Amino acid sequence: MTVRHYEDRVVTAFLYCAVFWALLGMVAGVWVAAELVWPTIDFGIPALSFGRLRTAHTTLVLFGFGVSALIATAIYSVQRTSHVRLFAPGLAWALFWAWQLAIVLGAASILAGWTSAKEYAELEWPFDIAIAVAWVAFAVIFFGTIARRKVEPIYISNWFYGALIIVVAMLHIVNSLALPATLGKSYSLFAGAQDAVVQWWYGHNAVGFLLTGGFLGMLYYFLPKQAEQPIWSYRLSIVAFWAFVYTYIWAGPHHLHYHAVPEWVQSLGMVMSLILLAPSWATMVNGIMTVAGAAKKLRTDPALKFIVLALAFYGLATFEGPMLAIKSVNVFSHFTEWTIGHVHSGALGWNALITFGTFYFLVPRLAGVPLYSTRLANVHFWLALAGTMLYVLAMWGAGVSQGVLWLSLDDLGEVRFSFNDVMAAMQPYYLLRLLAGLAFLAGTVLMAVNLAKTFAGRPTAVAMPPAGRRA
Amino acid sequence: MTWYLFIGDMLVTAFMIVLFVWLSLRSTRAQFDAVARIPLEDEERRG
Ligand code: HEM
Ligand code: HEM
Repeated sequence: MTVRHYEDRVVTAFLYCAVFWALLGMVAGVWVAAELVWPTIDFGIPALSFGRLRTAHTTLVLFGFGVSALIATAIYSVQRTSHVRLFAPGLAWALFWAWQLAIVLGAASILAGWTSAKEYAELEWPFDIAIAVAWVAFAVIFFGTIARRKVEPIYISNWFYGALIIVVAMLHIVNSLALPATLGKSYSLFAGAQDAVVQWWYGHNAVGFLLTGGFLGMLYYFLPKQAEQPIWSYRLSIVAFWAFVYTYIWAGPHHLHYHAVPEWVQSLGMVMSLILLAPSWATMVNGIMTVAGAAKKLRTDPALKFIVLALAFYGLATFEGPMLAIKSVNVFSHFTEWTIGHVHSGALGWNALITFGTFYFLVPRLAGVPLYSTRLANVHFWLALAGTMLYVLAMWGAGVSQGVLWLSLDDLGEVRFSFNDVMAAMQPYYLLRLLAGLAFLAGTVLMAVNLAKTFAGRPTAVAMPPAGRRA
Repeated sequence: MTWYLFIGDMLVTAFMIVLFVWLSLRSTRAQFDAVARIPLEDEERRG
């Protein structure tokens, strides 16, 4: 009898790469953090200059780590929630190689100085085309599997992954429309205020549908699995999904407060951001209530601990976000490290922690053996918590100080402190952030070792000698 | 332009509300509970 299994090898491949890109992206993050403490450690090498390395950091963590983790978990869960094997596994392998190649060459092109100068979409036009093609392949695999499903209802995690695929395709194609001049240079089709609006429609919804929506897909599948409980309120999850999709798409202009875009556009962005608090917290409450049913497991299971902490940081980032979107708060926070603190309370506290929790759950199942070391995973948990807290607190301190200093005027109405004065005052905070980054990175290294050892311990097929020759 | 956007916005809002009401009326609690159990009952199936 042949038993057909789910296609999990490609999941494992994406997972390996996600861990690799997390490590490399965080090394770049630690390096740029160190450059803010000791600005000369670029050694005059252009590839190590702050501007290029910072962009390499965001590209590696968002598209290398984040997207690889999302594709891995989407492929794993869509098969199981549909009770069918993956549609077009060959195409999934093509997607795997195409995506990883795009990240390698894309990061190299950024270090070499190619950039479209659009934040989170810096890769130049040849990469944009390759990414669009790869994304279509992802869509075919995902929706192809859904179309063949043997379970009638489409489970909520698939709605989030589906929204990720559709919306990111739309954002990427529109925002990347450009006239190529040479292989490494193109000019955006949009100019001036229009360019700003399109860019932040893209930028904000990339945060919304990739860093939030995609990872909510992960949450809705892996949280019930780990807690061994169905989601607390399925009805609430559907309402939250539609409210989330509908509201997020309007919120982009909060990135453009007091810029040269119409006033009402800014106000719309602000109002929609405030409304967004409701679906975000509905999801958080739904998650916390689900875990509440598995409180006993929480004491011993490191994977579940990561997920619960991620939920707490999700709540924090989605409370802080709407506050930052209020115009009178944003005037204070906009050009400061407060934004960076907000970004990393989401990126480290939410995205990275939920992924780590999911990987600790997934790898023993993919390898067919228990996790190599629960103790190491627990040490990782505390390093990740300490790193995230210290990072966020340091940036809040830095951000609030910067806000006060930038806005401080003398008797003649001139700014009291120069850019240099303000930056000099940031040194202690930057040093703390560097330590935080090192702690977070150290934890991630422990996870990589733990997962690699787990995989190494998986049972291998033993070749049995022919019966006649057995001793 | 503002009016077009406003009307568009209201249409989408109306769609949201209709969808929500439709969803709430269409499904029973038992159906929702069954769907919520999907991730808990998928491992024994092998595709
Ligand atoms: C209700 C949810 C959220 C709202 C309303 C929100 C709102 C905001 C606002 C107002 C800013 C500052 C814009 C500026 O002054 O330039 C911002 C920045 C940012 N947020 Fe959020 N946020 C939310 C959740 C999140 C989450 C969960 C993440 C996940 C990582 C995230 C990632 C970011 C990033 C990456 C930026 C920086 C964008 C840039 O490069 O300027 N946000 N957000
Ligand atoms: C060891 C961990 C990390 C360290 C030390 C680190 C450090 C940094 C630094 C120094 C910056 C530039 C800040 C500035 O210009 O003032 C930055 C920006 C950024 N990082 Fe990280 N990072 C880490 C992990 C991550 C992860 C895991 C993610 C995403 C999942 C992430 C996403 C971002 C984003 C989106 C920005 C741009 C923010 C903006 O422009 O507003 N980082 N990071």
